[in-house]
Amino acid sequence: MVDLGSGSAALERVRDFETAKGVAEPTTIPGNSSSGLGLVFWISFAWVLLMVLLAIFASVLPLKDPNFQDYNAVNIGPSLHHLLGTDDLGRDLLSRIIFGSRVSLIIGFASVGLALLVGGLLGLWAGYRGRWVDSILNAASLVVLAFPALLAILVIEAFWVPRSLLKLTIIFAVAGAPSLFRVIRATTLSFATREFVVAARTMGATTWRILFRELLPNVLPAAISFALIGVAVAIILEGSLAFLGLSISLPTASLGNIVNEGVQNNNLSLNSFIALWPSLYIFIILVALNLMADRLRTRFDVRAGNL
Amino acid sequence: MAAPMATGTSPTAMGPAPTMPADQARKGIGAQPKGGPVANSADRYDRRTFITRGATTAAGLALAGVGAPALLSACGASSPGTSSATTRPGTPGISSARPVKGGSITIGVSSDIDGFLPALSHFDATGLTYANAVFDSLTAIASDASVRPNLAASVTPNADLTVWTVALRPNVLFHDGSPLTADVVLQNYKALKASALTGQAVAPISKVTTSGDLSVIYTCDEPLVAFPAYLATQVGYIIALSQLDNTSSGSQNPVGTGPFKIVSWQPNDHFTVERNPHYWRKGLPYLDTVTFKPIVSDQSRESSLRSGTIDLMVSHDPGIIADLQHDSSFQQVTDLTQTTGQPDMDFICLNTTIEPTNDLTVRQALAYATNAEQVVKLFGRGVTAVNQSLFPEGSIYRAADNGYPKYNLAKAKQLVAQAAARHGGSITIPLIDITDPRQAEIIQALGSMWEQAGMKVTLNQIEQVTYISDLVEGKFTAAADEQFSAPDPDLNYVWLSSTTASGPIALNFARNKDPLLEAALQKGRTSADKAARIEAYQTVDKRLSADLPYIWFGRAPWSITGSDSVMNFAGPILPDGTLARGFEGGVFSPAQIWMKA
Amino acid sequence: MSRYISARVVQLIFIIFFISIVAFLLVHLLPGDPTLAILGPNDTAQARAELLKQLGLNKPLPVQYWTWISNVFRGNLGVSFLTHQTVSNAIGVAFPIDLELIIVSQILAFLVSIPLALAAALRPNRLFDRIATTSTYGMLAVPTFVVAVILVLLLAVKIHLFPATGFNPLAQGLGPNLKSVLLPSISLAVGSVAIYYRLLRADMIATLQEDFITMARAKGLSTRYILIRHALRPSSFALLAGAGLSIGSLFTGAFVVEILFQLPGIGFQLIQAIDSRDYLVVQGMALVAAIAYVAINFGVDVLFTFLDPRVRRA
Repeated sequence: MVDLGSGSAALERVRDFETAKGVAEPTTIPGNSSSGLGLVFWISFAWVLLMVLLAIFASVLPLKDPNFQDYNAVNIGPSLHHLLGTDDLGRDLLSRIIFGSRVSLIIGFASVGLALLVGGLLGLWAGYRGRWVDSILNAASLVVLAFPALLAILVIEAFWVPRSLLKLTIIFAVAGAPSLFRVIRATTLSFATREFVVAARTMGATTWRILFRELLPNVLPAAISFALIGVAVAIILEGSLAFLGLSISLPTASLGNIVNEGVQNNNLSLNSFIALWPSLYIFIILVALNLMADRLRTRFDVRAGNL
Repeated sequence: MAAPMATGTSPTAMGPAPTMPADQARKGIGAQPKGGPVANSADRYDRRTFITRGATTAAGLALAGVGAPALLSACGASSPGTSSATTRPGTPGISSARPVKGGSITIGVSSDIDGFLPALSHFDATGLTYANAVFDSLTAIASDASVRPNLAASVTPNADLTVWTVALRPNVLFHDGSPLTADVVLQNYKALKASALTGQAVAPISKVTTSGDLSVIYTCDEPLVAFPAYLATQVGYIIALSQLDNTSSGSQNPVGTGPFKIVSWQPNDHFTVERNPHYWRKGLPYLDTVTFKPIVSDQSRESSLRSGTIDLMVSHDPGIIADLQHDSSFQQVTDLTQTTGQPDMDFICLNTTIEPTNDLTVRQALAYATNAEQVVKLFGRGVTAVNQSLFPEGSIYRAADNGYPKYNLAKAKQLVAQAAARHGGSITIPLIDITDPRQAEIIQALGSMWEQAGMKVTLNQIEQVTYISDLVEGKFTAAADEQFSAPDPDLNYVWLSSTTASGPIALNFARNKDPLLEAALQKGRTSADKAARIEAYQTVDKRLSADLPYIWFGRAPWSITGSDSVMNFAGPILPDGTLARGFEGGVFSPAQIWMKA
Repeated sequence: MSRYISARVVQLIFIIFFISIVAFLLVHLLPGDPTLAILGPNDTAQARAELLKQLGLNKPLPVQYWTWISNVFRGNLGVSFLTHQTVSNAIGVAFPIDLELIIVSQILAFLVSIPLALAAALRPNRLFDRIATTSTYGMLAVPTFVVAVILVLLLAVKIHLFPATGFNPLAQGLGPNLKSVLLPSISLAVGSVAIYYRLLRADMIATLQEDFITMARAKGLSTRYILIRHALRPSSFALLAGAGLSIGSLFTGAFVVEILFQLPGIGFQLIQAIDSRDYLVVQGMALVAAIAYVAINFGVDVLFTFLDPRVRRA
């Protein structure tokens, strides 16, 4: 997997070059791109939607209390009573995963959304404006990227207790914003000198209008496809924090907390299901998000190329 | 502890002895509220050894009554009578077979140390084990908790116990070839005195002089009964002048008289030592080389033992201990059967000066709501048992019925309902702990139990230094804690006393003030009469059950586990032929370990 | 070009300088101070004050920063408050471990990802491509610590093939040395494989559509020859860029693996130093990690400006 900090920057490159080369994932079946987003996209979308709905409505679903500890049912395998089994405190793994996904999906989507909003807008501005705005923001983004993320996180967490969902989301957003800034800045640069932008400017359009009416729609597809990968990366990074005991305060479940619980204290040999289920959950949602991102990018790249 | 005092060789011993500890408390040997800690520091990873070290601080003081007379009479005839069950020949880790010389061993320890200078470094469980490899202490503790000569041939007081003469063994050489002389010991003392870490501990000694090559005379302002035992702690290890004078790298290059010489020390990676061919104890050590490997994660340490990466390991995690105990390919020693002295206890420390745990009803509710049986069943893995007392099962100081509230959910609910009105309608308990995977599980179970009783619980795992400052500064409500390892109950005086329960920095973390408890603690530390002393500590036990600053659930185990070929890792013999206290609180000596050929 | 490079160097020096200030401030803002770790909890207020004075920690922060940074410029990173080991010595121990971990893990990652990517790119969207692509998602989805623990259970505990913990320096021989870094390197490589595979595959597919490849095919050269001799080199720019970024962040990012395998690298030592408030060690390690990150990525950027004019604009 990707450790703290290493993933987003490298993935930025992946996206840069995949975008540049115009080559996407195996699902890009030529000829399919003109006829909508394709079946794979919709299956992936349906899965992600289902997961999001499960997370949203977790508390009204007929699920067991994710924090209820049944000491008579410790470490039991999947059964009719506990569909995915229980953990080493006798808690139902199915409901922990669904309630945990709530935390993980919020951290994933909200932090990336926040990063997209801040990093994206600044990237748009820097890419269009250039000069000193660009130099300063670019240097600032490099500072954040090069700063040992580990140090920052440990210090922030030592200060900022108790650890809530909001705080984790903000920390992740700050860590993710520079990557998004750089992707969007690079993409904006490639559009800033295009005829339609130059034309708009000569016609006396305001900077505001150029940014949001001309550039934003063209930059958005690349931004969203990159952001979707960011969601998956954030979900996994939360696991690294859990490993240090620094994820969301227990007993609140998160996918990272559950994987970590499943690996520590010899639990992997005592009950491997604890680590298996959340890993599987992350895997499937990662595949689905990537497939969606690839479809979106190919779809919109084609349109962008026609401009 | 005072009982053997009466049989002491000094005719005046009866006089000053009973009052002495109180004087020392004022003077600051270990017992002074904020002074005297000898072996204390924030361990980098392990809160457990951190707190434990705190308790060993006052070792010099508490052992005094037990040890001094035994040492004085030199033949060691008198002893308190109780003895440790685990350190008898015939048990794992102790071998009476003929040792094989040669070979090497790799030992996994739980943390690394910060240096080898007794005056500047922190000798925790790992540190004391390292020190046992390269240094010798002047005195040592036997399995019956009596103090015996080690590097010192004898320790003799004057009539009123204010002047102590330490006679050194002749012909002892340091690793650099220099001889052990009275002057070396004097210079060691000066370094201790000048250090911020140990200066307080040696404060009661007003003057040190030498007489001839092998006699060191310590003069104190007041009688110092603790003196000989105190030489068995961190301040009793003697290092060579070449190390003492090496201001740039002395802390990394130990030069001692010990059974092994340093080969290399790479912090967080390894500490390797080789046989000292000129060791003053003839025939020792058995091994050619010993490599210590600090491995922070208990799980990784177990994997290392199982994969053969290491041959012997220390563990403090009941799950890991249980795993290895049930595996016949390993031999294990734990301190769980040890009833002399005082083991570490697992408990929740409640701040008695903060809302809502300042309310006794709330503390009672917490005690009734804690299903200790269940906690131990979940995490003790058959290794530990429920222990709801300051003292372990089998200890003479444990009250037959200490009145500690037994698990009773209905009662807990009732008390919560009763107290809730006083605390704004509901009771919220923030519980803190360090970021340790096992502890994470334990506090989740406790939180769940307390919520069953109608309280709201928030859990917070915080990083170690912050955790310790919170405890010391009283910025917590409830904290998962582990403490009280000590060879004698009086060692825990500083942690329990009302005199250390206030101020910005308080060692009585719970800040529990109780005149009856304080009176009993005072009586325990000053009583010459054994029965009176037992009664005093039984009162302490009962008072803690009434005040409830601590929610007990079990004894915290230490173990040492070796592969089949590692022999005699827990049963060294002291120079006078008595069996040493081979393994206690994670500390052992590698000098008499040998490998089966 | 040289103006571009010198402008970048100035920018990077500014960045490193800025990071040194932020790292310094963050460490000093941490709750607690080194006296707690040095003296233990039951020291006197007086001893604390004395020690702070002795360590120079009673001075105003700007003065402390100036003292530190001017010493750094003189090549003196200071001495650890706790182990009394020089910080440069501690870094000297940690750095080679990270370096070896990174080199071995990256070689492993390349050895796996390049053949996979070549095979997949040769017949895009076919069965092999789909399986390989999906399994790389799997590699991204499993956290490092899960991989590490599984590897230890299987290869160290079940069959005693590798040591479960510890680092054997090269001085102990190449065999023991490689054995000790192999499991941690595999754990680290898993994530890199996924990224490198995706980078190379994408570039490769594009390259294979270029005219010179069609020409080579027309000349009747074998597929393997074309892939390795003609297509691989022009397709590996993205791979290099990705590797540069991964490697830069692995200097502190490898801490999970370092804790599990007890390898005292930069990440591991940084965590320990933060825990004991060993300021100078934290500052020194953070500085070295930042410089390593910046230097490696600067190298990659410069390499790119030479190799690929497209990047120069951005």
